[in-house]
Amino acid sequence: MTQFPTIYSITEAEIDLNDLLAQITLTSTGAAAIFTGMVRGVTARGDAHETEYLEYESYIPMAESKMKQVADEIRERWPVIEGIAIVQRIGRLYPKTPTVLIACTAAHRDTGVFEAARYGIDRLKEIVPVWKKEVGPGGEEWVEGDYIPKPGE
Amino acid sequence: MNHIKLLLFATIRDRAGTRSIEMDIPADMTIQKLKEKIGSDYPNLKDSMKSVLVTIDREYAFDEAVVPNSAEIALFPPVSGG
Repeated sequence: MTQFPTIYSITEAEIDLNDLLAQITLTSTGAAAIFTGMVRGVTARGDAHETEYLEYESYIPMAESKMKQVADEIRERWPVIEGIAIVQRIGRLYPKTPTVLIACTAAHRDTGVFEAARYGIDRLKEIVPVWKKEVGPGGEEWVEGDYIPKPGE
Repeated sequence: MNHIKLLLFATIRDRAGTRSIEMDIPADMTIQKLKEKIGSDYPNLKDSMKSVLVTIDREYAFDEAVVPNSAEIALFPPVSGG
């Protein structure tokens, strides 16, 4: 049986989408769903404000182990998924800069590949220990999540 | 007594003013009791203890769990990556 590639990492380097995509593309792959999030400089929804930059930090060894757990959960739910890449960039990141990438590949697009990538980013935001401090014209503020992990997570 | 080292992240680290703290605790101390002790030893962290997440050896741990000796323990707020 083919070993499906799983990539997970916390990095200070620029996220290289083409390189990651190549690493999770097999000869049997025909579809990839890619989610990437970037620093938003101007927020209109909710509490409207501007952002100069975000400062990300991580508990790296635990974060990488939880990213692997997210990948395992994706494979449990969507066994047809071929490659998975989960990358979170940390450090000081300015507007328009990609900060996170989740990519899943499969043979065909109607296999759950979109849902798998969506699940990946949602789970990363719940259980992977990464935090960001937002710095803007009004000063700086830590962004706090609201998810409390349950036993076994 | 067990000697433990706690790793602190994000708001918890900022409020404590340090990346890690060390302390001696009774061998049968639970996470709940540890949080109470931190809140009283470090008044700046008292409010943070209400919503703090605690991990033991890089897995989430809960109030009833006993803090093991020579484990890697971390305290941090709910995560906000992405």
